[in-house]
Amino acid sequence: MISDEALMLSFQRGSREAFEELFARYREPLYGFFRRRLASKDRAEDLAQETFLAVIRAAVRYEPRAMVKTYFYAIALKLLAAERRKFSGNEPQLDDEYEPAEDGPSEEALWVRQALEKLDANEREILMLREYEQLNYAEIAELLRLPVNTVRSRLFRSRMALKSFLEPKRNTQSRSRSTAEGEAKS
Amino acid sequence: MSKSNHPIEQEELMAYLDGELATNRAVAAAAHLEHCAECQELAADLRKLSQEMMAWEVEQASPPEITNEMVAELEMRKREPKKQASIRRRWSMLFTPRKLVFAGGSAVVMVLIVSFFSFSRLRPAHEALLSGEAKGGKLEHYFGNDSYMPKPVPASTPPGGPEAYASMSRSQTLGNVAKIASGIVTHEQDAHVTNLADDETDSSDHSVPSVPMIARVAGITLSTKEFDKSRSGLEQILKRHNGYMGELKVNAPADAGRTLTATLRVPGRELEAAMAELKKLGRVEDESQGGEEVTQQYVDLEARLANGKHTEQRLTEILRTRTGKLQDVLKVELEIDRVRGEIEQMQAEKKELSKRVAFATLNTTVKEEYFAKLQGAPASTGSRFRNAAVDGYNTVVQGLIDVGLFLLSAGPSLLLWAVILFFPVRWAWKKFRSTRGPEQAEEEQA
Repeated sequence: MISDEALMLSFQRGSREAFEELFARYREPLYGFFRRRLASKDRAEDLAQETFLAVIRAAVRYEPRAMVKTYFYAIALKLLAAERRKFSGNEPQLDDEYEPAEDGPSEEALWVRQALEKLDANEREILMLREYEQLNYAEIAELLRLPVNTVRSRLFRSRMALKSFLEPKRNTQSRSRSTAEGEAKS
Repeated sequence: MSKSNHPIEQEELMAYLDGELATNRAVAAAAHLEHCAECQELAADLRKLSQEMMAWEVEQASPPEITNEMVAELEMRKREPKKQASIRRRWSMLFTPRKLVFAGGSAVVMVLIVSFFSFSRLRPAHEALLSGEAKGGKLEHYFGNDSYMPKPVPASTPPGGPEAYASMSRSQTLGNVAKIASGIVTHEQDAHVTNLADDETDSSDHSVPSVPMIARVAGITLSTKEFDKSRSGLEQILKRHNGYMGELKVNAPADAGRTLTATLRVPGRELEAAMAELKKLGRVEDESQGGEEVTQQYVDLEARLANGKHTEQRLTEILRTRTGKLQDVLKVELEIDRVRGEIEQMQAEKKELSKRVAFATLNTTVKEEYFAKLQGAPASTGSRFRNAAVDGYNTVVQGLIDVGLFLLSAGPSLLLWAVILFFPVRWAWKKFRSTRGPEQAEEEQA
């Protein structure tokens, strides 16, 4: 399998096929990135498209020393920041008026989203980049311009905080499970 | 869980699970994790947390497709990938401070060079016009053909032809040549200036004027017995010559003649004819004519304007094509605003300059010849007496107020000094009297 970086260099030299391959690889991840951070599904799709447009326009400036994944998410983060600035001057939040998927979110998904909302914005971003975008510490540090150790400690804090926020849900689930088992026995 | 109990910190354990721990620490973490129940619990929690987070799945995006916009961008890249790359590279280079300074300096040098060449190209014609050597033949040489020869000022050409022209005094020649020159240029100037004034937005219109551009200023002072008629005559002259009144002021003192001061703007080619008609309105007391050549100024302005438009265009292109930090985008937008402001200012200057060339300024003063009237007794003598009496009363009241104010402001300090000095002065006086007393007695006895 050709690496992203090789594809990017090939695209830089004018290969459309290389871009199509990159598009196929990153469309869903980028859409997911915006979808989890924005209320509107349409805006998420638009911004994913805009990210690719920006990649096309700025391809000449890409240098092989940067990972393509980091490069794409750096553009996506900038677009996201611009989008948030456009619609509110507030601290970045997961949108309260989250437009749910057509088949409806699972109860677990809802819990997770609500628990994430309670986290500090900076810590939440690190956690989401790690868990959903599967970026490593160094990549997150590069994206957010933070020292790797800061990323690690914030990630730990956010995980512990999220765990505490999800604790009531776990207890509820275990209680309901035990009740169901009791009913089944009786 | 603390460091004293565990050789591996919680954060390190998390990093180990994430595959982010250095090998030596990872080995230690794995070894510790095997037998530490507390750390195993934490590890299980962290793994579970990751699984729980994965419960938040997003729905599938619409079927993946490359949009038309992307296709257009790709096509553009395909057509000129190298050019695009070079343009962007060049602009990214321009954004470094050193390059910006260099580019600014180069632009200034370019403008100076362009101005110098433009000026040197125009200079011979202009110098020839204003030098004593200029004759009809030379003028033809510089201005091309006979159609440019002066028609509005035939009377100023001496009857003896070029020889008589050459024998005229330098001042006469200069005056006449200036008139001829102004007559020559006004026809072309009008056409050129009209084009320029009408087409301010055309960025390509920054050619060097083919003839010197001269802003003409003339002045005339007349005295007339029929002042009222002269004013209406002035307006008719303006109407006939397609001019307009820039400013008008009429002064009518009680015991002197009225004066009308007006700034008239008439098309350059109509100036001579308008002045000739103005002279008929009264006796000419004073007349003057002058011209300021603004070709150089105009060329400079054109060059700066073209440069500004080019800069604006490039900045707009940067804004359109580059993606970057919002801060950078704002900087570019601010720069565009600044350049746009400069362009508008220069366009206004250019328009004003064109207007000055197209319309000559004619400062006109019309004085009424005043005849003093014989009066039996001075008017308003009673009121003058009354006013004098009121003035006297006011002076007295004002004096009293001043004294009162002085006493109020300086009185307390004077009183204080009087109290302080009273006893020493009295003691000194008594002492003086006591010493003086015996001497006086002796004198009296003698």
